[in-house]
Amino acid sequence: MTALADPALLVTNFSRRLRDRGVATTTGSSIDAVRALAAIDPTDKRDVYLAFRTIFVQRRNDLAIFDGLFEEWWASAQAAPLASRTSAGSATPNPPVIAPGDEPKRGSATALTRWASSRDDTDGDETIPLAAPSTHDATATKDFRYYGSDDLSALEQVAALIVKRLRSRRSRRWRQARRGARLDPRRIVRLALATGGDPIRLARRQRALRRTKLVVLCDVSGSMDLYSRFLLQVLYALQHAFARVETFAFSTRVVRITDSLERESYREALQALESVSDTGWSGGTKIGESVESVRAGWPRLFDRRTALIILSDGWDTGDPAVLGSALSNLRRRVGRIIWLNPLLGNPSYEPLTRGMQAALPHLHVFAPAHDLASFERLAAHLSF
Amino acid sequence: MNEAIARLQQAMAAQGYITDRATATAAYLAMTLHKPLLVEGPPGVGKTEIAKVLAGVLDTELVRLQCYEGLDASTALYEWNYPKQLLHIKLGEGAGQSIGEREAQIFSEPFLLERPLLRAIRASRQTVLLIDEIDRSDEEFEAFLLEVLSEHQVTIPEIGTVRATYEPCVVLTSNRTRELSEALRRRCLYLWIDYPSLEKEIEIVRAKVPAIDTKLAASVAAFVQAVRRHRLIKTPGVAETLDWAHALVALDARAIDDDTVSETLGCVLKDEADIRHVRAEVASRGAAAVVAAGESAE
Repeated sequence: MTALADPALLVTNFSRRLRDRGVATTTGSSIDAVRALAAIDPTDKRDVYLAFRTIFVQRRNDLAIFDGLFEEWWASAQAAPLASRTSAGSATPNPPVIAPGDEPKRGSATALTRWASSRDDTDGDETIPLAAPSTHDATATKDFRYYGSDDLSALEQVAALIVKRLRSRRSRRWRQARRGARLDPRRIVRLALATGGDPIRLARRQRALRRTKLVVLCDVSGSMDLYSRFLLQVLYALQHAFARVETFAFSTRVVRITDSLERESYREALQALESVSDTGWSGGTKIGESVESVRAGWPRLFDRRTALIILSDGWDTGDPAVLGSALSNLRRRVGRIIWLNPLLGNPSYEPLTRGMQAALPHLHVFAPAHDLASFERLAAHLSF
Repeated sequence: MNEAIARLQQAMAAQGYITDRATATAAYLAMTLHKPLLVEGPPGVGKTEIAKVLAGVLDTELVRLQCYEGLDASTALYEWNYPKQLLHIKLGEGAGQSIGEREAQIFSEPFLLERPLLRAIRASRQTVLLIDEIDRSDEEFEAFLLEVLSEHQVTIPEIGTVRATYEPCVVLTSNRTRELSEALRRRCLYLWIDYPSLEKEIEIVRAKVPAIDTKLAASVAAFVQAVRRHRLIKTPGVAETLDWAHALVALDARAIDDDTVSETLGCVLKDEADIRHVRAEVASRGAAAVVAAGESAE
């Protein structure tokens, strides 16, 4: 770099390029980079590379993007320090995925109306065996597609199990408590001040409760039709056993159904859902937009104590990049992202849809959700 | 080519830490820019060692804070000396001080017990502060660290803010068992350390285990390099290579053959399934073939 007329300009240019590619950079790191250029030999490409990498990269996954951009930037900075502004980043190669045309063209008949109103029939006979389990008799491995309404009690048991798991966790942190197991010396000393140094009144503390929140996003689009009725039962059971659940249903748009699920009886909950769904649903699934709108619309739902559960088969008619960026953003904020895919119960299923491909790198857990046993296993992922 | 970085790299080597220019550059920048250095990488590649070596290079004290879940201010920063406080209240009983005065007295510096963070900040010269395995602590503690990392100061409610007279050189390590917060990452320089190349690993073995035969050092490193290419439950780090080299020297082994491998494999692999897997490999191809595989580039 011979023409280092304005290092600040060059550095900010580089920083902006990184940001364009999704690497989080700050003004602070630009300032550090300028300072670093003064501390090292700015004509030594290797040193500048190593210094910038140390400053701008904040996680391993960003290293590859950085490497590519640095080469580009160095070359342009050498040639004409300012001409580089115009050259935008080249397109990143996409992983091999299924073309959009391969997706099932389901009509608009999707969603909650059908989902809720078909509650009384058992459609086990006319369904196409997509993910046929080997044994239909054992309840635990019975595919949800073959479920009738009377299986609700089994679901409730599983929900209770999950909730027990969520509730029984205690944090390692201490908090004041009237009847704690341990003494709290700091407060005892303060209290002893009043009694001339005799610790007469004792203060106690105990381990804080770990408050896990559940946020559930349930896909109710056409391709999920076979499953969503039973997933709804799971959600209902969960909501009733556990107070800190927020539930959303989505196809092309999102509806918060927490309040509907909180009704006294399952039937009332279904009626409430039907009225919610009267507002109209259209065909297709926009998973990315849905996740993003929950993220943007209810930002305070997501923190380290949150487990985000997405129930979907991953057929996304929206832009998979939106899903990827929404999930990668959430990944940094929530404790767990769990994607439950009913199709995963089929041994020959491979998550090749574009939506699934975009989502996979950001998930903590990718698990099946086609039978009760898979939900029981879910409980294990919820203690974090 | 910057002389200072090269000198630092040499100084680290003199402390027995064989490293590359990337690591030396990161350490150099951490010191010149006065920013904490966050080091990530697989277990056993010498992340913690960086801090120890820097303390050696700077000829200063290493203050170490091992993180764990539930780590809080009273173990990381400071604690009040409760017995001393109680005694003091008792002794001062007749002195006619008001409660306010007595309170101010017992919550003052002489009653403070220093924990690592406070010690690093109050030291009378620059220290190296190692915050080890930060990913094991919880989110709350991470937030609590931010003040120390960016301002080099800590706040004790009863006393006030304690500023560092000599800003400590801070090294954080993480095994990436959980994602660290954006806020923490933003305040740090970042270094990713991977497993060393074959040449580097041979160099490390010879530096750390001087008694080892040159040829044996090469075979040990090559064998471990070959093992790392397998899909293992627990991939051996440099620490395991060194353990193994030490063991082989202690056993007077001259070369790596099938018998020595099967006797000492426990130094390299720490999981029963991994050991079975590599044993089978050695049994079918012979230890020499595994070494040869490690010597050839992938």
